[in-house]
Amino acid sequence: MLSALILIPLIGSALVGFLPDKEGKSSRIIALFSAIATLVINCYLGLHFNTEISGFQFSEYLPWIEWLGLDYSIGIDGLSFPLVCLNSLLTLIAIIITDRSISRPRFYYAMLLLLSSGAAGAFLAKDLLLFFLFYELEIVPLYFLIAIWGGERRGYAAMKFLLYTAVSGILVLASFLGLVWLTGADSFAYEALRSQTLPIGSQLLLLAPLVVGVFIKIPIFPFHTWLPDAHVEASTPISVLLAGVLLKLGTYALLRFGLGLYLRAWVEIAPWMALLAGISALYGASCAIAQKDMKKVVAYSSIAHMAYILLGASATTRLSVTACVFQMVSHGLISALLFLLVGVVYKKTGTRDVDSLRGLLNPEKGLPVTGGLMILGVMASSGLPGMVGFISEFLIFRGAFPIYPIPTLLCLVGTGLTAVYFLLVVNKVFFGRLTDGLSSLPPVKWIEHTPAFALLFLIITFGIQPAWVIQWSEVQATALLTGG
Amino acid sequence: MDFSSNVASQLNAGAILPEGIVIITLMLVLIIDLIVGRSSARWLPYLAIAGLVAAVVSLGLICDSPNTDAFLGSFSNDNLGIIFRGIVAVSTILTIPMSIRYVQQSGTSLAEFISIMLTATVGGMFLCGANDLVTVFISLEMLSISSYLMTGYMKRDPRSNEAALKYLLIGASSSAIFLYGVSLLYGLSGGETNLTAIAAKLANLGSNESLGLAISLVFVIAGIAFKISAVPFHQWTPDVYEGSPTPVVAFLSVGSKTAGFALAIRLLVSAFGSVTEEWNFIFTALAILSMVLGNVVALAQTSMKRMLAYSSIAQAGFVIIGFIAGTDAGYSSMIFYLLIYLFMNLGAFTCVILFSLRTGTDQIAEYAGLYQKDPLLTLCLSICLLSLGGIPPMAGFFGKIYLFWAGWQAGIYGLVLLGLITSVISIYYYIRVVKMMVVKEPNEMSDVVKNYPAIRWNLPGMRPLQVGMILSLIVTSLAGIFSNPLFTLANDSVVSTPFLHSAVVTQKASPETIQVLTTSIQPELDIVTE
Repeated sequence: MLSALILIPLIGSALVGFLPDKEGKSSRIIALFSAIATLVINCYLGLHFNTEISGFQFSEYLPWIEWLGLDYSIGIDGLSFPLVCLNSLLTLIAIIITDRSISRPRFYYAMLLLLSSGAAGAFLAKDLLLFFLFYELEIVPLYFLIAIWGGERRGYAAMKFLLYTAVSGILVLASFLGLVWLTGADSFAYEALRSQTLPIGSQLLLLAPLVVGVFIKIPIFPFHTWLPDAHVEASTPISVLLAGVLLKLGTYALLRFGLGLYLRAWVEIAPWMALLAGISALYGASCAIAQKDMKKVVAYSSIAHMAYILLGASATTRLSVTACVFQMVSHGLISALLFLLVGVVYKKTGTRDVDSLRGLLNPEKGLPVTGGLMILGVMASSGLPGMVGFISEFLIFRGAFPIYPIPTLLCLVGTGLTAVYFLLVVNKVFFGRLTDGLSSLPPVKWIEHTPAFALLFLIITFGIQPAWVIQWSEVQATALLTGG
Repeated sequence: MDFSSNVASQLNAGAILPEGIVIITLMLVLIIDLIVGRSSARWLPYLAIAGLVAAVVSLGLICDSPNTDAFLGSFSNDNLGIIFRGIVAVSTILTIPMSIRYVQQSGTSLAEFISIMLTATVGGMFLCGANDLVTVFISLEMLSISSYLMTGYMKRDPRSNEAALKYLLIGASSSAIFLYGVSLLYGLSGGETNLTAIAAKLANLGSNESLGLAISLVFVIAGIAFKISAVPFHQWTPDVYEGSPTPVVAFLSVGSKTAGFALAIRLLVSAFGSVTEEWNFIFTALAILSMVLGNVVALAQTSMKRMLAYSSIAQAGFVIIGFIAGTDAGYSSMIFYLLIYLFMNLGAFTCVILFSLRTGTDQIAEYAGLYQKDPLLTLCLSICLLSLGGIPPMAGFFGKIYLFWAGWQAGIYGLVLLGLITSVISIYYYIRVVKMMVVKEPNEMSDVVKNYPAIRWNLPGMRPLQVGMILSLIVTSLAGIFSNPLFTLANDSVVSTPFLHSAVVTQKASPETIQVLTTSIQPELDIVTE
């Protein structure tokens, strides 16, 4: 059952890639179908998922390459299940919001599905080397997706992304190789390696490259420089996937492998990581204030919001770790919504420059619905009660404050700044008089807003009823901290 | 036991059955070309391929033979040699299809080219099994001289002439150095030529002769490093690769290099078994230099062939990691990587040949926008290059990760980390070509690609090229995921090869036991093989 989550997009990708498609329609249909099919499977898994027990469920195992200790063993637990769902949902949304007249549709949809398959595989992997394989697998599709369908400096941004992620990959690999060698294990199986009892020194030595590699991916200041470039150059659907899913690979690896495998060493370096999280949150927020490009604002706000996850993970309380998973979901939904709406604005007005946009909320000639949605999205991002962002951030801060008061305060300031930079943007772009140059905007079709409404619906629902997300991961978070 | 059967078992002529088949094929090719004339060029290549396939099949038949010594111990028929001989033969099998059209288009005779290539193959195959200094040197020269001839085969092309001259001058001097090292070895061992006997003698060497031994070791390694083009013995590689006919380059980068690695294993592990530390040190230096320099200089290349030249230098550096590891896992990861490297590198060269046949250029910039005109070529070249760069799930990823894993287990962390870092660098230049082909918009297309000829596979000599390309494409993309059989093959050949094992034991034993072990290798060999 779980393999289908990897295989359906993979087969879809092969079909799209190799079937002839003159008009460029069938690729989109195949892609949509495979995305819907994975989402349906997710619903099925959700119905049968037992939230009472910790550990992996629906596990599948197939011996693969014994001499390398690499097995095809996958499973989901409370940590990965919400992310797998997020991946399927955002892949579907990314396909829906893709321009119908996109150039080279076969290659585009094939790469998109391959990316989704790689991300799903990484979330499902129960074998360290298998995780690494999928982690590397998504690099090349994403490289192409940025480099071919991106903005003006796409070549530069794509190559920067590629090199940063490749470096992050080898650091993670070095840590995995080292762990298996030091423990003398004969395979990379995750569950077996969790019971390692290495001396604290070697644990620290192994944790360090892992953490640095993952920081590049998340990204945490000062390893973040690839992200604004990649986001600005990538097209809207790719930005949605990048922010919503691929950054989560980093935080997922942080919790799964950093916290899960090296709990003792983790506690040692946690104060420093919490401090770095505070700095990163403040840095992201201050940079966002200075940006003139709407997409860059959202990109920097991503850096700030992802830093909260690091804060929650360093605090290692049951509450904060549960909240981390929740924050991943919440950030995935909110940043996807924001990127989507910025994409709509860009498509209609041809610019994302905060200075040249004005008064888009004008009910007759502007983009009133987009503007309204944007205001709601901004409210969610700045953590207004009643929305998902409030709950997740509140829980993280609540869990982390007793342990790391100063970093938590830094992050709290960052949250305050979120309201500042987003209100600056919204105020300039959507309020005031519509400038003459923008008065004849093409109308926004309802289909372009459907995904945004769906995301907003989830954001509000989970904001009012957070238990629907938290119930998945609560037990697993406890198990992660007790080593069970 | 009567005399004749005793002689027969000592000679064990069946051990060189595969080489015999190749030699017969070679003579057939020559004679048929002489009698029938040029019209036979249509089917002669297929005869050569059939002969080589038969040789590979017969290699399968003679493997696991209990009696590994042939020709009074001057040729060894062990499984390690067999798998290396197989790799050399398969590399020629894949090289011939890509050369048919290339040679015909240049207006030179195909039969002669094929017979020289078969000679080089025979030389390479003998080198993989040679267990005697004389055999080693003769087969090495056989390989080298045929390679010089092949590099200069496009005699009307000044660049080909230049490449041949360069290769000849540097190659001849390296042969001379190698021969000097070998002669020192002969003297130090008190007149032995058999590698096993030399090992036994060298183990008892007094400290006075250690300087001689060191010089001999360095000279021998210089000869080997020239063949595998490890830095700093690589200077010939880019120029020769750029000037020579591309099929020859393909053979040099895989077949010739494989034979070099086989020689390295046999000569260093068995004859120089008593100075393992020393040659480990030298090879570590070679690996570091090759990985760093090969990968870094490849970044700056504008010609596809030169880039592949530097990439092959870097790949040699990766393979050396497995060699230095010196464990079973190390050797089998080496063989596994060479097997995979064979397909991915030859696949890349097939694509380069195809492109230059259709457009007449190898410049990387000229590949811009190729996906529009030739999707199959783009796909195949992209997959092969990504595999060389070690991107999953291509075969190269598994090969590389196994090399690193074996190196890591053997405790050479520094080299493995360097390998990891430099493979990130290598991703950059491989993906640069892929980007050129795939990412460029139609309006950024190069002039050459704009005037790209219509794809016609029915021209003479194009069909085999297509088959070779698709075969390497399939193997490169699937061999990693289904790598168990290939790995079992590599591992079994290492496990069942006695001389590696005595060496593995020797490395881990204390100094006192080394002497005992090395002097008792000879009788033990017979026991182990049974």
